[in-house]
Amino acid sequence: MKTKKITLIGLLIALAFVLSYVEFLLPLSIGIPGAKIGLANLAIMVALFLLGWQEALMLSIVRVILVGFTFGNMAMMMYSLAGAALSFAAMLIAKKTKKFSITGVSVIGGVFHNVGQILVAMAVLETEQLIYYLPFLIVIGTISGIVIGIIASMIHKRIKGISNLF
Amino acid sequence: MLLQGTPCFYLVVLIGEYMSKGKVLGVILIILLIVFIVFTRKGLFGKGDVAEEQNRYTATFIDIFDTRTEIVGYAPTEDEFSKKATALREELINYNNLYDIYNDYEGVNNIKTINDNAGVQPVVVDEKIIDLLKFSKEMYAATDGRVNIAMGSVLSIWHRYREAGVDDPENAKLPPIEDLKAAAEHTDIENLIIDETAKTVYLQDPEMSLDVGSTAKGYAAQKTMEFARAQGYSNMLLSLGGNIAGIDGRIDGTPFRLGIQNPDMDSDVDYIKKVDIKDGQCVVSSGDYQRYYEVDGKRYCHIINPDTLFPSDTFAQVSIITDDSGMADAFSTALYNMTIEDGLEFVNTNDNIEAMWVYADGSIVYSDNFEQYLVD
Amino acid sequence: MKRNDIILIAVLLVVSIGLLIGVNIYRKNNTSGSAKVEVTVDGKVYGTYPLDEDRQERIELADGSYNILKISDGKASVIEASCPDKICVNTADIHYTDETIVCLPNKVVVKIVNGEENDVDGMTR
Repeated sequence: MKTKKITLIGLLIALAFVLSYVEFLLPLSIGIPGAKIGLANLAIMVALFLLGWQEALMLSIVRVILVGFTFGNMAMMMYSLAGAALSFAAMLIAKKTKKFSITGVSVIGGVFHNVGQILVAMAVLETEQLIYYLPFLIVIGTISGIVIGIIASMIHKRIKGISNLF
Repeated sequence: MLLQGTPCFYLVVLIGEYMSKGKVLGVILIILLIVFIVFTRKGLFGKGDVAEEQNRYTATFIDIFDTRTEIVGYAPTEDEFSKKATALREELINYNNLYDIYNDYEGVNNIKTINDNAGVQPVVVDEKIIDLLKFSKEMYAATDGRVNIAMGSVLSIWHRYREAGVDDPENAKLPPIEDLKAAAEHTDIENLIIDETAKTVYLQDPEMSLDVGSTAKGYAAQKTMEFARAQGYSNMLLSLGGNIAGIDGRIDGTPFRLGIQNPDMDSDVDYIKKVDIKDGQCVVSSGDYQRYYEVDGKRYCHIINPDTLFPSDTFAQVSIITDDSGMADAFSTALYNMTIEDGLEFVNTNDNIEAMWVYADGSIVYSDNFEQYLVD
Repeated sequence: MKRNDIILIAVLLVVSIGLLIGVNIYRKNNTSGSAKVEVTVDGKVYGTYPLDEDRQERIELADGSYNILKISDGKASVIEASCPDKICVNTADIHYTDETIVCLPNKVVVKIVNGEENDVDGMTR
């Protein structure tokens, strides 16, 4: 049982990492800093609904550290970590209320990821100018959250049956 | 266990168990493979870095080529941008000192040294001076003598009268044509002798002098952009007194957009046209609206036509788009001194040059393909 | 998707539209109000003046040379100078962020900070 769980976590880490890489290769060129599709959130959603919040949190942190060291720098890692932490906390609360489906949780995650990044960037760069991007970031987070939520619920439906094994 | 639930704990568990469990081994191998692929490919994508934290900066310097230098670029911090801007400034200052015709610099033989030794002796100079003079000779040939750096004797007369005229507009005077004609006797570029093996330059005619104003700035801009490229700088704009060249475009992938100064300075419209330039392209304007003086209500600008020895007054402005800053500077000066017919023929028979002529009344003539760069 | 999800998405879209409008109003009221003209002499800040107040400022240099800066209708220009070339006077007025008027002989740079963003990255002269 334990092995299967570890294997699944490993797979999800790899998946999150690859998705981050894919996103890195295809940057969203719309001139808005911090705008991300957040593909990697797919793996975190699956972990959150299949395994539990501790595993999902671990996955989220490992992803940020791995991606930060491979593609980015300390500053980028800090932004990501802030985004990931805020988004994770928001998703967890949203899930605990049991008011939302996977899609709803995913939308909240997407939005808060973007919002968290911009807030840290504003604090670090000491500029309020970045707040102008906030509305666009919310919209982008919502749209990508919907897409990722739908995919995640499809995955969830298919492997829910075997998830009892974990 | 204290570490339970933390990422480290899971990583330890993963590593601890991989020997016995084939699946875990597989997962780790996949992760390693991805890391490997990413690291080997990173060189290709390193340039893009992380787009969201690149800020735009502008640096302005006023100590180069008697004009203003502006550098626009992107970097995560102002310090990093300053480093690049300073490196470019040092390059430019080196060119500035070598190509200076007014000032001496300790331990440097520059163009002024060459002028001071006209008819006296050959001067040993830096390779960069030889290259500029050779380039200037090429421009002389390419423009049928309309860009002539050996015109120093004529230009210095105009320079003197212009400065006096700007300082005291009431008593502004035109230089006597006899003086200009006498000076024009000493403008034969064939008397500029370049010895490439000895690395010397000699002016055979003791009365002649070099004025590299029409080529030096553009040539230095071109070389500096080549230096910037060699350093791996990206997404950068260099403006040397309005001679603007770009590397790549803006950080968001859109091209750099440049305004072309409206020659009518009293107008509320800042830019007569706007153009989008591609990577490596360069835009420059020549006109009568900044360096000029007036005599009896008529404007006399700083661009002197070698044929008439007087400032040209056909156009208010000529702008060029091409892919070499050095040529851009020389060609815009040459076009300013040509008739519209000669100019159109010159531009349309040369590849990679487009031009726009603006008359004093605001009417505009374009070369065959200039309009493709226009925006708005 | 649940009904709550739809409500959530709708609320987020409304919030972002609200923010967009709010931010634009804030921006309009603030950036034009806080646009400034910064004057430096030989790299040192000489003075900073609001762009929305009409005024004339005589920039005095130690050696007696001067430039006269004029701010009117939200635009800055140099209308008179002691320099020999008068290129600063012959430079068009400025109001976009990072636009400059330069007087080389006097080492005076007049620059707009925190103003309206320009849609061009540079200009020929």
